[in-house]
Amino acid sequence: MVRSPNDYRTDVWVDWCPGCGNYGILAALYKAFAELQLDPTNTVIVSGIGCSGKTPHFVKVNGIHTLHGRAIVFATGIKLANPTLTVLVHGGDGDLLGIGLGHFIALGRKNLDIKVMLHDNRVYGLTKGQASPTLSKGLKTKSLAQPNILSSLNPIALALVSGYTFVARGYSMLSEHLKNLIVAAIKHKGSAFIDILQPCVTYNDIHTPEYYRKRVYFLEEEGWSPKVEEGNEIDKMFNAIRKSFEVERIPIGIFYQNTFKQTLEESYGQRIPSYLKTLPPWQKILKDDGSPIFDDTLFEKMFNEYIVKVEKS
Amino acid sequence: MWDNISLLLGGPQGSGLESSAQVLSKAFARLGYGIFADREYFSNIKGRHSYIHMNVSSRRHPISLSYPVQILCAMDAETVFTHFQDVEENGVIVYDVSTLSTRSSTIPSIEPKLRERLKAYFSELGLSDTIQSLIRYLRSVKKIRFVGLDYPKILSEISQKFTLNPGQASRYLSSIIVGSVVGLTGLKLDAVGYALASRFAGRQQLIEHNLFIIEYVSETVREGFRILYELEPSKIGLEKMLVASGNDIVAMAKIVGGLRFQSYYPITPAADESFTLETFERLEVEGESLGSLIVTQTEDEIAAIASAIGASLSGVRSATSTSGPGFSLMVEALGYAGQIEAPVVITYYQRGAPSTGQPTRGGQSDLLFTLYASHGEFPRVVLSSGDHLEAFYDTILALNLSEKYNVPVIHLLDKFLANSIATTPLPEIRKVVIDRGKTVFEKPDFKRFDLSRPISLRAFLGSNTIQWAAGDEHDEFGHIDEDPLNRREMYEKRMKKIEIMDSEIPSENRCMFFGQDGVKLVMVGWGSVKGAALDAIEAMKAYGVRCGYLHLKMFSPFPTEYVKSILSKFRPENLVAVEHNYLAQASKLVTQNTGILVEKSIVKYTGRPIYVNELVRALNRVLEGERRVVLEYGA
Repeated sequence: MVRSPNDYRTDVWVDWCPGCGNYGILAALYKAFAELQLDPTNTVIVSGIGCSGKTPHFVKVNGIHTLHGRAIVFATGIKLANPTLTVLVHGGDGDLLGIGLGHFIALGRKNLDIKVMLHDNRVYGLTKGQASPTLSKGLKTKSLAQPNILSSLNPIALALVSGYTFVARGYSMLSEHLKNLIVAAIKHKGSAFIDILQPCVTYNDIHTPEYYRKRVYFLEEEGWSPKVEEGNEIDKMFNAIRKSFEVERIPIGIFYQNTFKQTLEESYGQRIPSYLKTLPPWQKILKDDGSPIFDDTLFEKMFNEYIVKVEKS
Repeated sequence: MWDNISLLLGGPQGSGLESSAQVLSKAFARLGYGIFADREYFSNIKGRHSYIHMNVSSRRHPISLSYPVQILCAMDAETVFTHFQDVEENGVIVYDVSTLSTRSSTIPSIEPKLRERLKAYFSELGLSDTIQSLIRYLRSVKKIRFVGLDYPKILSEISQKFTLNPGQASRYLSSIIVGSVVGLTGLKLDAVGYALASRFAGRQQLIEHNLFIIEYVSETVREGFRILYELEPSKIGLEKMLVASGNDIVAMAKIVGGLRFQSYYPITPAADESFTLETFERLEVEGESLGSLIVTQTEDEIAAIASAIGASLSGVRSATSTSGPGFSLMVEALGYAGQIEAPVVITYYQRGAPSTGQPTRGGQSDLLFTLYASHGEFPRVVLSSGDHLEAFYDTILALNLSEKYNVPVIHLLDKFLANSIATTPLPEIRKVVIDRGKTVFEKPDFKRFDLSRPISLRAFLGSNTIQWAAGDEHDEFGHIDEDPLNRREMYEKRMKKIEIMDSEIPSENRCMFFGQDGVKLVMVGWGSVKGAALDAIEAMKAYGVRCGYLHLKMFSPFPTEYVKSILSKFRPENLVAVEHNYLAQASKLVTQNTGILVEKSIVKYTGRPIYVNELVRALNRVLEGERRVVLEYGA
């Protein structure tokens, strides 16, 4: 059976605001899944809290809607326990870079094969438009009482120094381009990150479609080559970081991709050969009669170092 | 000949005391003796005072500790100053003669309060605060016997014999302590050799050097001092014994129970369990693999519990292990597991609290917290264990209950159990059952939260199903649903599991009563209180008083009917809570669930274990009418 983008839709009514950038992200997601013909039973979307957190309910693959800021760590357990699953994380800028920032950085260090999609609209939408970690200092979006007093952080640069091996930026209104990024991220082996710029039509009156239309340009059209070749990892990363600080013109596309680093599941597999041979969920832990695979003899053999044989006097 | 000996071994943290305890434990076990040893230490890597309190028996596996001890082996002057009052009349103190002129007032690692107490003690007796004057006093007035060894001289002889530099030689200081114990108890050197070989497997030179000092010191002690606490031959009659800490035995149980994923963030006193698990990650026996165990150190405890829940959704048995501060961070995710009905086990080693509290000391002050942690109402299991073997079987029970009922299980242990080494018979693996609950592997339109039954079928992510889950209130598929009637149904479906668990989990897993006919006074306790309470029952017979002990194990669901059936036979003034916390928390739960008041309490919150001697004294005070006794024995 060939799956079309429509086959990945659920019948849950999508309750984002009309005109929300999330619709573009969702459309790109359906198309990417169809292009890759992902098996819904073997695919998991894990989300946090906020407008982006609702994403899994609209997609007909496994969907785990978790806690604010923690999607990455739930996904980490899901993936480590079954490394054959395709695991995506969807989170907002407040979710992934505010309350969940520690996990965002830690995932880069792990290079675990999880794809992180940052719904980046620079405000906390569902709580009525407070400033998020990606809103620049001094800006006053619609519902702020005072201009933002904190500096913003740069998600691309942060992902790069954290160790993500695939780092890209997309724009929700350019759905086809975004679809291509999602496909590339899923195909990549290792921690992948896409910073998805999106307007918030209700609370962000600065970063509007108009704002982005004037500034966004495609990295690939300017001859950007993101791929690390043997030996130029640092150069590539520094170039990408520099590029990520362009604000007057906003580059989108793949900033950086490194296929030389071992993933966490590979590292475990190297240390524990049976890990990738028989996946943990399918490993036998009990016999048909409900007794454990251990018996008294096996127990004694495995924990020999704790067992003392009493000397006969 | 003796059938029971108590020892104290003390010295600076980081000087090999822990190894000494392991070596001695295994050596005694090799000869068939039962041991129980508590390790007390500061939150410090090197230099602060630590000690091992060990009970050795030829008749049984000891389950408690008591004072005074027969033997104190001191690595340094601080140990003598800290523990001299713990030694019985005619007991023995082994000390370093090069410290004779050391003054308690000049030892910087002694804490100010102890220094003040010592100062008061010395000035009251008109003594100077040197080791020498203390020895003179204790020898003449308390009839304590002293074994003085020249530690620096012994070490310099070692360094000459094996051409070691002084730094290397100093690492053998703890062997002087082991050697003294060997000399004083007549422990066979073969057994010590066996224990060393087991502790330092493959490091032949280390074993040889240690054995040399131990032999040398033991001969010096035996020939020079002629004091012998010879143990009668063991009458326990086991061919094999398990010698393990609480952390280790829980790790073994998790492996037997089929654990495939453990996440943790480093914290005392839980981290050693994860360490042990990691050494077994390949699950290999004689080159054959039984599976794989992923042990992952996360960036914080939130990540630890969240990834454990994630792994559980993928279909593996998963757990995380922590202590109070870590669990505090986990509580939001605990409620999430309750709401999405995900199995997960949290092994919770209580320590001195609140806040950082006493990181390396014990306590039982988190019981109410584990019962009520996280916002909202959801079913959970809170299960506690009273000793090493209980902890073994309960660990597997925890894994079973979490999967059978799709609930988070908190397995509540404490530092006393975590760090104490005990001999036990080998766990009976043939009695272990694994229950993974009801699962489904293929189902179109799978309803993870099917309302037709309170305990829904569980599917693994990656099996032939599609499932959703949300911390939001949800419909049967797991999609967000705020309909008031759906809310009621889902809420009740979850809460109904409490009743089901209550009716299905056997009472012997949840509570035990120890006591014969004619019991006058009943202790009500839980966790590590068990050993001291049971031994106090024996000790109270000497006073002509029959005591009983109600050992509470499961606090959620609480074994209401069973507890009622036992306690209702007694008058409230004859019920006494024995707990390591201020409020006597478990007794409050007894009252809350059964309406029965536990009027008396014996509590301890110094961070040190409850010792039998002080418990017996406290029980007598309770019998005389005191309502509340606060214990404080122990350095």
